[in-house]
Amino acid sequence: MSARTMPRWKMFALHAGLSLTCAVTLYPVLWVVKLALSPTQTLSMSANPFPEAITLDHFRDVLGSTDSQGRWLFGRQLLSSLVVSGATTLVGLSLAVTAAYSLSRFRFPGKQSGMQLLLVTQMFPATLMMVPLYSILQWLGLLDSLGGLVLVYATSSLPFCVWMLKGYFDTIPRELEEAAIMDGATPGQVFWKVVLPLARPALAVTALFSFMQAWNEFILAATLLNDATRFTLPVALQRYVGEYKTEWGHFAAGALIISAPVMALFFALQKFLVGGLTAGAVKG
Amino acid sequence: MRSPWVALVLLASTLSFAAPPSLKLWHGYRGGEEQAIEQAAKAFTAATGTQVEILAVPYDALSSKLTSAIPHEAGPDVFIFAHERLRQFHRMKIVAPSGPGLEPSKYLKPAVDALELDGKFYGYPLSIKCLALFMRDDRGLTAPTTTDALEAQLTAASNPAKNEFGLAYEAGDFYFHAPILFGFGGQLFDAQGRAQFETPAMEKSLAWVKSLQDRHLMPQEASGALVKTLFNENRTAMVISGPWFTGEIDPGVKYSIHPLPMVSETGLPMAPFLGVEAAFVSSRTTQPEAAEALAKFLAVGDATVMRVITGRQIPAELAAYENEAVAKDTMISAFRAVAERGTATPNTLEMARVWEPMKLALRAVLQGGVSPHDGGPLAGRRYRALNREAPPTTSPVPYVVVLVLGLVALVTWQSRKAKGKSFKQRYPEAGRGLAYVAPAAAGLAVLVVVPFVIGLSLSLFHHEAGEYSFVGLANFTDILTSKGYRITEPLSFYFTLVVTLLWTLANVVLHVSIGLFLAILLKEPLLKLRGVYRVLLIVPWAVPNYITAMMWKGMFHRQFGAINAILGMFGIEPVSWFAQWSTAFAANVITNTWLGFPFMMVVSLGALQSIPTDLYEAAEVDGASKWTQFRRITLPLLRPALLPAIILGSVWTFNMFNIIYLVSGGEPGGGTDILVSEAFRWAFQRNEQYGFAAAYSVLIFFVLFAWSQVTKRLSGEEQA
Amino acid sequence: MQIPLVVPCVLSTLRPLVSDVRLVGIKKSFGENAIVKGVDLDVIDGEFLVMVGPSGCGKTTLLRIISGLEQMDEGELFIGGKKMNDVPPRERDVGMVFQSYALYPHMTVRENMAFGLELRKLPRAEIDARVAEAARMLELGPLLERKPKALSGGQRQRVAMGRVIVRRPQLFLFDEPLSNLDTALRVAMRGELARLHRQLGVTMIYVTHDQVEAMTLATRVAVFNQGILQQLGAPLELYHRPCNAFVAQFLGSPSMNLITAKREGDRFVGAGFTLPAVGDASGEVKLGMRPQDLRVGSEGPIRGEIEAVERLGFDGYAFLKTPAGPIAARFEGADVQVGQTVAVMPTGDVLHVFSSDGARALRHPEARRA
Repeated sequence: MSARTMPRWKMFALHAGLSLTCAVTLYPVLWVVKLALSPTQTLSMSANPFPEAITLDHFRDVLGSTDSQGRWLFGRQLLSSLVVSGATTLVGLSLAVTAAYSLSRFRFPGKQSGMQLLLVTQMFPATLMMVPLYSILQWLGLLDSLGGLVLVYATSSLPFCVWMLKGYFDTIPRELEEAAIMDGATPGQVFWKVVLPLARPALAVTALFSFMQAWNEFILAATLLNDATRFTLPVALQRYVGEYKTEWGHFAAGALIISAPVMALFFALQKFLVGGLTAGAVKG
Repeated sequence: MRSPWVALVLLASTLSFAAPPSLKLWHGYRGGEEQAIEQAAKAFTAATGTQVEILAVPYDALSSKLTSAIPHEAGPDVFIFAHERLRQFHRMKIVAPSGPGLEPSKYLKPAVDALELDGKFYGYPLSIKCLALFMRDDRGLTAPTTTDALEAQLTAASNPAKNEFGLAYEAGDFYFHAPILFGFGGQLFDAQGRAQFETPAMEKSLAWVKSLQDRHLMPQEASGALVKTLFNENRTAMVISGPWFTGEIDPGVKYSIHPLPMVSETGLPMAPFLGVEAAFVSSRTTQPEAAEALAKFLAVGDATVMRVITGRQIPAELAAYENEAVAKDTMISAFRAVAERGTATPNTLEMARVWEPMKLALRAVLQGGVSPHDGGPLAGRRYRALNREAPPTTSPVPYVVVLVLGLVALVTWQSRKAKGKSFKQRYPEAGRGLAYVAPAAAGLAVLVVVPFVIGLSLSLFHHEAGEYSFVGLANFTDILTSKGYRITEPLSFYFTLVVTLLWTLANVVLHVSIGLFLAILLKEPLLKLRGVYRVLLIVPWAVPNYITAMMWKGMFHRQFGAINAILGMFGIEPVSWFAQWSTAFAANVITNTWLGFPFMMVVSLGALQSIPTDLYEAAEVDGASKWTQFRRITLPLLRPALLPAIILGSVWTFNMFNIIYLVSGGEPGGGTDILVSEAFRWAFQRNEQYGFAAAYSVLIFFVLFAWSQVTKRLSGEEQA
Repeated sequence: MQIPLVVPCVLSTLRPLVSDVRLVGIKKSFGENAIVKGVDLDVIDGEFLVMVGPSGCGKTTLLRIISGLEQMDEGELFIGGKKMNDVPPRERDVGMVFQSYALYPHMTVRENMAFGLELRKLPRAEIDARVAEAARMLELGPLLERKPKALSGGQRQRVAMGRVIVRRPQLFLFDEPLSNLDTALRVAMRGELARLHRQLGVTMIYVTHDQVEAMTLATRVAVFNQGILQQLGAPLELYHRPCNAFVAQFLGSPSMNLITAKREGDRFVGAGFTLPAVGDASGEVKLGMRPQDLRVGSEGPIRGEIEAVERLGFDGYAFLKTPAGPIAARFEGADVQVGQTVAVMPTGDVLHVFSSDGARALRHPEARRA
């Protein structure tokens, strides 16, 4: 569409179409906001996505939840979510970055088959890996520990992170690294001062994905963690959803609280999404 | 570059705190019951000085958490659970028999009986749960003693036009249907103790319930929330529910509790299942005496009173009924009366196998897809499919031989390639390359590759109650020959495969076309507010997908869902989304489309930006229409960027467990389950048939692997 | 009498007095592909050596071996008298300008130039002084705070040079640094490079496939083909006395005419022409004549039809189709048209004689032997 001008009606149609799409997209979100702010715990038959009465009770209940010893559960669970997601991102990223760099730049035996294996393991349903994983973590002494969770999250998102970063590293010209070598940089300096700053978009996207994955995961966390003060937030949220009874108000409030940081992060980094995702994708 | 690895281990060890010496107690209670158990635990600490660490787990997750944690020494010392699973827990050796502290004569007889297994008692009975009839006092009805009386009252109390009913209960749940079945003279088990479904009582009881529903005497698809709302809003006069329902009733509503009526046709009472909740001592506890003491403490004396007063539980301990406060409580005494007529739910393994087939039949009949006559056979077929016989054990030797030979062949083939130049010359940077990869490779090997290999090999085993037996390829032949059910039935691998493929195709097509369309609109340089639109349109990507799923499940709710409310605005009847395959499937696809189009939009946007605009200018000069430009320029140039995204997207969708599991939950009757959710069910919901589930996973793996080979060919052509 | 040149031409050049860079028997192959097939070369301290040759001749690989970015398979490399085979690039005291400039996109011009100095942990003041000096020398002052994205091709080129200059290495390496520039800029940058070399007085090794750059910039030129050093010498020496047909044709524009002939007594006889013989070559030979040494006219030993005309003004070159093969020749005047049949006439003793396979020069024109 290289036209320099556009008829007014066409512009109007464009805006109308996009606004409608946005409205459809946001409707479910508004609906959750409504549930979170409404005074009841149940759903009510209504197409109106805006709350009729507003109360912060649900937020107060969720944020202020304590356990039998009066410990502030929500605070501890938030902390444990932050620790797990932060550590996962850090560990996952440092593992993925080094591995992806190596796969992108060096030749060594087993490289091709290793990369194939990476992809292949992704095709095996994760839920079934849980059975052996449980025993392995017991063997490592990492059952019921945030450390174990971090390791599992970091490794399970590794294949995707490595592939994305490798794709991006492949697009960084080797000459830049050679120029740095000629400038007197050690291999470590080349990596830290030239390659990593250049890979920032891909790093941002990968970090975002790692963080989101750890922040949102609940099946493994619910299975591995046995102490309510160390639950991550999604596991805590799971309590509001019973098979026989769902506390919709609490659930919605909790959902909003959990989604908020991820969404903030997501929007802060979204300008990298386009570049970070496609550079790798185009190269495949 | 070994430092990250060291840091990792340090991190891992600092994050795992050492547990202080105290007793761990796990339960699945919420609300008042939870408070009561916490009070009781505090009292225990005060009396003995032993700390109690309490963990509340959602009830539906508790059992699998127990069965996985206790054998790995990560479980509690004491746990509270209903007695129905006792046999299973016993077989998995996670529960210890009760010591001399248990005095059977001190408890209600059905409650202790429920805890007996082969002459030994397990656990301490805490409370009983059973169903009773709740009636609003303001309706001026007398408690019906027969079904005829009940029907007469219901007809009078119902008003279909105003959506008012005489009776409401969760009719789709077999727990609620069981008393009716028994009232019609039904027996769950035959003389050999095997479950039976194709009985006249089954047909009659189904027909009776269906007729109540058809005459609008009770609502369709009633959930707990609906029952509660109807009762509180006086839109139903009666409710069948258990003790927990008292906590749901608005304080202003006066009500009374009565035994369920007798079935007029047979003269038999509707005998509800009696569930006994007990405090069990884990077989793996390191402090058996203390754990036993805690379990007993919770079951008797002050703790019982706390549970009754705060938790509104019906106590199993006889002494509690002597307590003044308890004796005055009409609810408690009403339920005791009901309970004395009930029989404990059998704690046999066979009982655990009844639920899923019964639920399937009930829902199928109530939703109108199946006649009451065919309900029993439907359940029977499902029962036989779910409870497959263990395949015969075979010798693993031939498999090991084949595996070893294969490995040897692979190694020799690999080393044959490696001739020629020296290693150092071929891989001058191998050292550095491997060092960089090592930390990631080590982590992957331990936590991804090993579970993967174990997962693969599990498919050759049969798992039952913690024991594995080698069965060779039997799991695969059973799946592929669709043993036990017709190919066109939802449980068949082929049916599920077709559903999965449809699901993947529908989603990918919708994701790509919507994403691409929006990307083209957003690319328009003259458009104002582009940034705003873009940010709003990627919102779904940022929402955690289980929240998305729950949200949409709520929106598709038949009575309270926003979708039906919107349809209502256009005068369309509410759709029962999860009652028919097509609408349930559509609901899943709509949810996943909402979730997935932003990814494709972002990828398309990126790819569109990389197409030079002078190409379009050139085409315009050549007189190409917009459509031609799209077809001849945009699409071909987008291919290299879109193809990997599509491949990735198709693999993700193929294994998109959360949406299926949380939105439709496989309804109706497992018809919308995809292969992954089916594998999950075999592993965690159907007697933990890990081997069978692993075989499913291996088949999923093969399908995706074949797909990846096809796409590799496709993208290979792209590069050529 | 003339002594036929039978010794390999490389050895015929003088040994340098001071050798700054010495390559001994260097070989390198990638997989099955031998790229550098044994090169010996001495670079004199302070000279501007241009390595030239068609693409794939191994010149860039050789440069990368000198820089240390590439490992040689066999041979020895000395810089400043020290053996450098196993010395990592950063310890070789060598600066390199890349074909694509390889400017760090995330750093400003100033940061780009300071990067190498910072890695060497020079004091801040020293770094600033050196960057300022280089910026002045290259007229980069106003651009220091810009990112490379915001620079033109020529500016980027100067930054790339500045990055090396600030480090004051003992040896400068250039890998086709001007090939991404347009013609006018290229000419200007050539001048700047020459000035830089004069100003700094350090040894520079320069790789290009453009023979004009080689001729204008070099103290000495090394011509490579198929991984072998063909000839090394001052530009004019190579132009006038190419040691084989390849060098002869590679240098000079339009390139030297080569036609096959046979010695018959005191004549060279070829397809459709006869020329008086010179030198003592016998049998089948290749005759080389530079287009500058041939005149288009009505009389002459070789006749042909004009296929194309490259007019530079009053004079120019005409390209003829003759029975002996295509011939280019100089013309003067206005009456030269495509399609005309004309003759060409040598302007004196202009004949180079090569062995029939072109591998050896047998004779060069008298007047240019000195």
